[in-house]
Amino acid sequence: MSEHTHQPDSGRTRELPMARSMCWHCQSEMSGEYFCGRCVKVQPLSKELDYFTCLNLPRKLNLDEKALEETFYALSRSFHPDYYATKDEGQKAISLGNTALLNTAYRTLKDPMQRAEYLIRLEAGSAKDIRTSPPADLFDEILELQEDLDEFRSLSAEASDDRRQELLEKLQADRLTLEARKAHMEDRLREQFSRWDALPTEAEGDSAVQAQKDAVLTGMQEILSNRTYVKNIVNDLVAATSPTAEPGRSAWH
Amino acid sequence: MAYSEKVIDHYNNPRNMGSFKKEEDGVGTGIVGAPECGDVMKLQIKVENDTIVDAKFKTFGCGSAIASSSLATEWLKGKTVDEAGEIKNTEIVQELNLPPVKIHCSVLAEDAIKAALNDYKKKAETEEKTEESAASAGA
Repeated sequence: MSEHTHQPDSGRTRELPMARSMCWHCQSEMSGEYFCGRCVKVQPLSKELDYFTCLNLPRKLNLDEKALEETFYALSRSFHPDYYATKDEGQKAISLGNTALLNTAYRTLKDPMQRAEYLIRLEAGSAKDIRTSPPADLFDEILELQEDLDEFRSLSAEASDDRRQELLEKLQADRLTLEARKAHMEDRLREQFSRWDALPTEAEGDSAVQAQKDAVLTGMQEILSNRTYVKNIVNDLVAATSPTAEPGRSAWH
Repeated sequence: MAYSEKVIDHYNNPRNMGSFKKEEDGVGTGIVGAPECGDVMKLQIKVENDTIVDAKFKTFGCGSAIASSSLATEWLKGKTVDEAGEIKNTEIVQELNLPPVKIHCSVLAEDAIKAALNDYKKKAETEEKTEESAASAGA
């Protein structure tokens, strides 16, 4: 990254992609610690720091939730802005920045779906690099459901005619079916988690392993995309058919 | 977030919302989705003598996706099939002043146009072939 690193030549130190490779305060050499070993000043986390590294976890999908929690709390305590209230502006800013990054990292990794999405982004550069085939059948199904939803919304609740009741029952049944399908997709995704975790981590240049990795990433991306479509239609169904539903819906998201 | 006036106008008064029968002669249908946000867009064209005489859309998604497809149907009308293939998502972005986070909505509209054109061309080809085989069978 930076050409002016002051890393020791041994190369054996664990290299964390920090914003600086020396302490911003006392200029002593650093090899990725969050605090300077000499002057004990907090160091800024690099914007390029990936969330797994930040929370000291391997790039696995079935992660140790207890370890995640513990590291998060420990780091939260050490970066917490309350402890920097009396410090100079530089340290206050670092404390705030680190806390913000740490919170995002924790939130992302805690949720299995977000964790998978994040890992795909990390490993594939950008999720857009992975092209999945559009699920034509699912689209047809969604369009059909949306037509029913449109009709249902157009019938006023006061009218309470037979058609409305019939549609309501159909849509509620559809909702249950789709929720079950979403749950099934999440189960399938978890199976991919285990496949990913079983692959060797150190496999630079090993094309066979890379091909396996790509296959798992593409498989996960496909499930995640389809899950998003299903999630959206389920949300629309819930919004329209639950008793407290407001008439109409907002598309402003 | 702030939408441009044009987006709001297309959202409140969508042009050409609706659908044609898929099987109808000269109708091309494109159904596409954006995996990032789960939006689904259906765009249809009706072609007579190589010119798009009508276009319709149905979009289930955010305001920008609705506006992008509504605008696309307006632009498609009167264009030849080849001209329609030239429509670029960047033109939609410019016209609607879409912010960077909503650019994928315009990409979705471009994809939908392409899918509808492909569907039309495929249908036209199969029709030709059936006619040919019918003619040769008759001879």
